Amino acid sequence: MRTVLFASLRTHTRRYVAALVAVTIAVAFVVVIDALGSGARNAIAASVESAYPEADLIVGEEFGLAESDPVRVLEVAAQRGDEASVIATAWTRVDGPDGTLGDDVEVGTVATDPGLRSTNVVTGRGPIADDQALVSRETAASAGIELGDRLTVGTGQATRTVTVVGLTERSSYLSPDVHLTWPALSALDSEIVDSVAYAVREGSVAEAREALTEVVESQVQLRDDYVSARIVSMNKGVDVLGYLLLLFAAIAGFVAVLVIANTFTILFAQRTRDFALLRCVGATRRQVLRSVRVESVALALVAATTGVVGGLLASRALGVLARALAGSDSFGDIDHSPGWLGAAFVGGVVTTVVAAWLPTRAVVRVSPLAALRPAQEPSARTTAGRVRLALGLLGAAAGLAALVLAHRTETVPLMLAGGMVSFVGVLLLGPVIVPALLRLVGATAGRFSGPVRVASANAVRNPRRSAATTASLLVGVTLATAVLTGMASGRQSVEAEMNAEYPVDLALSGTSQVSPTTVAKVRGLDGVAAVLTPPGTRVETDGPTLTVVAPSDAERERTLDASVTRVGDDEIVFPASYVASFEEEGVPDRVTVRTAAGPLTLTVRTVFASWGSAAVVSPETLDRLTPAGTTRVLWVMADDGADAQDLAGTLGAVAGGADLEVTDNLEDQQWVSLQLDVLVWSVLGLLGVGVAIALVGIANTVGLSILERSREHALLRALGLTRKGLRHTLAAEGMLLALVAAVLGTALGTLYAWFGVVTVVQSAFPAAALVVPWAQLAAVLVVAALAGLASCVLPARRAARIMPAAGLTLD
Amino acid sequence: MTSTSTPSLLPGTSRTLAASVRGLSKTYGDGDTAVHALRSVDLDLAPGRFTAVMGPSGSGKSTLMHCMAGLDRPTEGSVTIAGVDLTTLDDDRLTHFRRDHLGFVFQAFNLLPMLTARQNILLPFELTGRRMEDGTAERIEQVIDVLGLRDRLDHRPGELSGGQQQRVAIARALAADADVVFADEPTGNLDSTASAEVLAFLRRSVAEFGHTVVMVTHEMDAAAYADDVVVLADGGIREHLVAPSRARVAQALEGGAR
Ligand SMILES: Nc1ncnc2c1ncn2[C@@H]1O[C@H](COP(=O)(O)OP(=O)(O)OP(=O)(O)O)[C@@H](O)[C@H]1O
Ligand SMILES: [Mg+2]
Repeated sequence: MRTVLFASLRTHTRRYVAALVAVTIAVAFVVVIDALGSGARNAIAASVESAYPEADLIVGEEFGLAESDPVRVLEVAAQRGDEASVIATAWTRVDGPDGTLGDDVEVGTVATDPGLRSTNVVTGRGPIADDQALVSRETAASAGIELGDRLTVGTGQATRTVTVVGLTERSSYLSPDVHLTWPALSALDSEIVDSVAYAVREGSVAEAREALTEVVESQVQLRDDYVSARIVSMNKGVDVLGYLLLLFAAIAGFVAVLVIANTFTILFAQRTRDFALLRCVGATRRQVLRSVRVESVALALVAATTGVVGGLLASRALGVLARALAGSDSFGDIDHSPGWLGAAFVGGVVTTVVAAWLPTRAVVRVSPLAALRPAQEPSARTTAGRVRLALGLLGAAAGLAALVLAHRTETVPLMLAGGMVSFVGVLLLGPVIVPALLRLVGATAGRFSGPVRVASANAVRNPRRSAATTASLLVGVTLATAVLTGMASGRQSVEAEMNAEYPVDLALSGTSQVSPTTVAKVRGLDGVAAVLTPPGTRVETDGPTLTVVAPSDAERERTLDASVTRVGDDEIVFPASYVASFEEEGVPDRVTVRTAAGPLTLTVRTVFASWGSAAVVSPETLDRLTPAGTTRVLWVMADDGADAQDLAGTLGAVAGGADLEVTDNLEDQQWVSLQLDVLVWSVLGLLGVGVAIALVGIANTVGLSILERSREHALLRALGLTRKGLRHTLAAEGMLLALVAAVLGTALGTLYAWFGVVTVVQSAFPAAALVVPWAQLAAVLVVAALAGLASCVLPARRAARIMPAAGLTLD
Repeated sequence: MTSTSTPSLLPGTSRTLAASVRGLSKTYGDGDTAVHALRSVDLDLAPGRFTAVMGPSGSGKSTLMHCMAGLDRPTEGSVTIAGVDLTTLDDDRLTHFRRDHLGFVFQAFNLLPMLTARQNILLPFELTGRRMEDGTAERIEQVIDVLGLRDRLDHRPGELSGGQQQRVAIARALAADADVVFADEPTGNLDSTASAEVLAFLRRSVAEFGHTVVMVTHEMDAAAYADDVVVLADGGIREHLVAPSRARVAQALEGGAR
């Protein structure tokens, strides 16, 4: 049997290439996931490491520490003659000489003691006084800040002015934009303390540790212990991401199983005669079976090896790419964990052998007589076929029932289970559904083209093979469609919510009247589509003095917010962005405002929205407050696609001159929308790996079927089909298969997305509805069809090159 | 063998020679392992005649037929059919030439398994993508009747006997009204009754439709249906016999065995 085994491995290597590629991609994917994870982990480790100075002890928990602890640690340090430095951050407003840096700039601490300083000062020097600050190089560059400039930090009474004395370099995850001393930062009253670093100068570390443990509530740890604990806890996020990515690797692996199983089925079908002949000349069943199993193990070992090697190479390349794109502070050196590599290798081998197992069993059933009979066209009307169809129907029905039930009861796990079961059902029904669809698509397209007619006749010849081929692509297209449609629906809900929350893109508001020249200046800015100037006034109340505006009906229409649109005559509506004016006492239920005609009591309504520092009243109410409303607020609508940061910057410059405050809603909106885009594209990119494997599978099936039919092609060529004609017929076949997978996949994916929307999204946004992203789905169809076409170009070219005479004598 | 008279020619096919081969060589491989399947063959075939090509196994019969029919490229020499030198044509022109002027019947795998008998017969027209000319449809119906295929038209090849399959292949060659029909051992897989039927139809196509038929065969009985016999040996033509007797053919063949 050994001569047979080696001869057949040699002869059939080429036909195994696709299975090899499929396994290689899946295994390499797993290796790459580990490598990218290690890159992220190493970056985290380096960044955490450099965030904490070379102290002896660190006082702190995993997240923050008790409020009174920093003061106590500082007291202990003062008593014992040691040094301590509080590591804290605040998010607050910072104004530079050329306008604002933003409303929530990250402001952190810097140690005054050089021994405890983790900040890397590149220009100038570290601050020595509480009225001095360091600014990160990036922030300084983008805001045009130079040494010696003065910054205003904080809001309200906590505002203070500091002088920039140095520029810093970002090196850790705790790198803020602006650094202050701890006394200066704590004076802002909004700081969040991370930990306190402690350097022992007198006595032993153990003594200091004991002294600290007595007075503080938080843990006191050796510096290195604290840092490694932090690294472990930060890595959890990366690990979770790694496991999520493994899900996509599992999808890719599943697709690879389909491709491998299909490849073996086809190869063994083509070799039925060989097997039968072997049986005729006296090989036992066991011998034949063992020889094909050894073949599959050999393939598995080779494929897993190439996968690991390919993964190692791809990791290197991606590591370089990631560092170039994300910077070396967010992506570090990559390394590979031996366990993970081993698992990828073993997984690849096991996957291949398991995928080959079922097809090899069919080999045993070959009777010696099969060698003497002409090759038969297979049919689905076997007992096994019927069992399979019954199972498929059952799966589809049960899965659908589970989906409906999940929708009724809003149970997500049930929905996922239902989706999977019904999908497996559809895959089992493939030999019935796919040929029917192939005939339908073929008949429609075949009306216009002869090659397509022949192609569709060819594609339905072996229903099970066509079904198996389309199955792999079906997985990818269904998931991609479900993701695209689900995200489009979710996005619409999110956007509806955001429109309510952010009725205007940007708002300029102040306490005094806005001059017409300022309004004209804003109107003339690039990126500004429209400016609304609702009339308003300042009113004295029993509490603070308020700015109120009364948008007209037309203006209310433009702001898209129903809660503002319906403001009653006895009502005053506060956006969440303005309730800060009540400070300590909180928002009252009613306010009494002074008017010329005596006090007027209005019911307060607060809405979760942002339109600047102004409350909204009805035009009638405004008439009672003032004889003539003046402009107090500018509501700016941005052009589509305007850059939020640019616009905020230019508006900030205008606002600074006119003593107005900018409320930027656009940046938030664009950020959310960017996050959604990133999410969709990441998921699609990850699914792409599975789709790539599926396309290898399609190329493979078409390629192998082409080999199998070389006699027919020779006949067609003899009878007058040109090379081009043959190429077109074969390409049309690949395209038809891909198109059918894509059509079925988009239909299924949309259905699953609908269940997802009614089960998951509607529990968060009751008004959510299915949104079908037609353009994107059309793109999926076109891409799938083109990819199917592309995957058949090579085999078709090869087939067309053969001279008819050579094809006729081929076996 | 009685047919020494030339059958009447159909209009348009009237040429001095149906096929003419000059200096035809075919070599597979090169260097020490080169196989000279054909060595500088010259051959002329008159129109409207049924020629059998005979010779021992490996003598180059199939190779000669493939080169003459434009299914393979000769290493050297020229093949002229219907006044066209096939060796000067590029692949597309050659393909169109085959489609329009030549017919084929092979030993096996003559038909596309997924098409019915009728679809197989009409395949050359399907490939042309043109509408049939006037009279073609009637001729096809006539051919179908002559070959006795009428009640088998909607069957697929898998449901037909070997003899029926060969008849469908002949019907396809005749339906397309080929100038020359090439047949490579068309009866190699058939029993004597079925062989006789198929050969009789080829004979009739020469007599009734005026086709030129070239048939490769091993069998003496099959050769008996032909007008002329070409005997090949070791890649060369040993003899070209016009209307020979059975004994003469046997003698020519034995010459090769010597
Ligand atoms: N593709 C090929 N490569 C190499 N040698 C070939 C090839 N095809 C045919 N030959 C050789 O060319 C010679 C002629 O082959 P051909 O098939 O024409 O013989 P034949 O007369 O048809 O034989 P048979 O009666 O057995 O069909 C043989 O020696 C054969 O081995
Ligand atoms: Mg031969």
